[in-house]
Amino acid sequence: MKISAIALNTFREAVRDRILYSILAFALLLIGASAIVASLSIGQEGRIVKDLGLASSNLFGTFIAIFLGIGLVFKEIERRTIYAIIAKPIHRFQFLLGKYIGLVLTLLVTVGVMALLVAGLAWATDGHWTSGLLGAAALDFLALMIVTAVALLFSTFSTPTLSAIFTLAVFVIGRLSGDLKLFADQFAGPGLRLLIDGMYMILPDLSRFQIGAQIVNAMPLAPHQIVWTVMYGLAYILMLLLLAIGIFQRRDFK
Amino acid sequence: MIPRPFLQPARISTIALLLAGVVLVGVVAPLHWATLSGAGLGLTERAVFLPPPEALRVASLGFNNVAADAIWLLTIQYIGGHIFTERNLPELFRLVDTVVTLDPHFVEAYTLGALFMNYSGGNVPGAIALLERGARANPTRWEPPHDLARTYFLDLKDYPKALHWFEITDRLPGRPDYVPRFIARLYAKTGERETALEWWQAIRGSATSDWARNIAEREIAKLERQVSPPPPKRTR
Repeated sequence: MKISAIALNTFREAVRDRILYSILAFALLLIGASAIVASLSIGQEGRIVKDLGLASSNLFGTFIAIFLGIGLVFKEIERRTIYAIIAKPIHRFQFLLGKYIGLVLTLLVTVGVMALLVAGLAWATDGHWTSGLLGAAALDFLALMIVTAVALLFSTFSTPTLSAIFTLAVFVIGRLSGDLKLFADQFAGPGLRLLIDGMYMILPDLSRFQIGAQIVNAMPLAPHQIVWTVMYGLAYILMLLLLAIGIFQRRDFK
Repeated sequence: MIPRPFLQPARISTIALLLAGVVLVGVVAPLHWATLSGAGLGLTERAVFLPPPEALRVASLGFNNVAADAIWLLTIQYIGGHIFTERNLPELFRLVDTVVTLDPHFVEAYTLGALFMNYSGGNVPGAIALLERGARANPTRWEPPHDLARTYFLDLKDYPKALHWFEITDRLPGRPDYVPRFIARLYAKTGERETALEWWQAIRGSATSDWARNIAEREIAKLERQVSPPPPKRTR
């Protein structure tokens, strides 16, 4: 009950934020423009609309997750509203979970709007429904939930600027972790390989959630691969939230 | 009388706006015009200076498909811009190679790239290498082996290799209906008339139209005349 109240309040606060609408407007513009760009290709209109649409939805969703996520806790401390909240009969973990769920709800609405626009454009271009496009958007959304949890974790102990830089770095490394591992296996010395292997084990592997290429190229998907990816995503989010709760619980607000 | 300074607040605004106009007309617009009229990087230069695909893979932050699409659009512009001027398209292989390195499952890039490489660029070995790579990366798609078979059949007249690739195409889902007929004809062309006969009989058995059945019967009759031993000479 307490968590849902904070979540709804966070959602309301986020939808009033002008930055959300600016990012969403740019995303919708880019997704719409993909239809014009696609007209330059020879018979590949549907492919370009889907590729560009899914990438725009993912990238702008990440921007929303980072720019709104980094201020989740910091804003409460800056405005000193945190004192009023923690003085009430509410656990700190409930506050943090409420904040997280509120932002995830915001992301669900924005990514949902973008995904529906992409699916609609793809349908208009191809003349048929591309099954799996919304599934690809759903897995992208799970990756965004991880990025949001990373932003929330950093926002519990750092400033918004540093949190944004750290979260962006985690996003970039997460997107490239497969290539990084490959690079380490092929070229790196033993010390660097150990370091990269260590990073690979700890940092999120966001490339797991990218099934857009398979959907666009009409390739078969292994159901067990999807199940493992979803389990991996949920486990990683749980780990990040537990870390965030652990740090936030110890934080001194004096 | 105290002289009024030249840079009064009202004048500063007018001067700044005038200077902005001068910079726009004198520098920015000519530079844009130079780019439009070709003084900037042309399509060939953009293709030449394209970073290696491995670097593009990292720079695209894992959005490899979008990067592949962008290079594909550049490839189409390159083909369109050069097809009526120079017919050897020297950068085409590099461009298509970049596209399929970024997205190995972009089947149309292999087939269309090979088509232009072969017929406009005259680079048949390059087209074959590209299609073989496409067939390896997409073992469930019929298009790359089909185009390999067509290239060996029509352009190189290498019938055993054409037959090999048509047989691979025949096993893949979605392949065109005419593939078995090509296989039967190629068996006949390579001297294996018995096998060709078996293929035509199978085609006749599975034909769904009179047209296809008639072709099969005509070919069977032709082959039976060639396969069966000549009738014994009659003696009076």
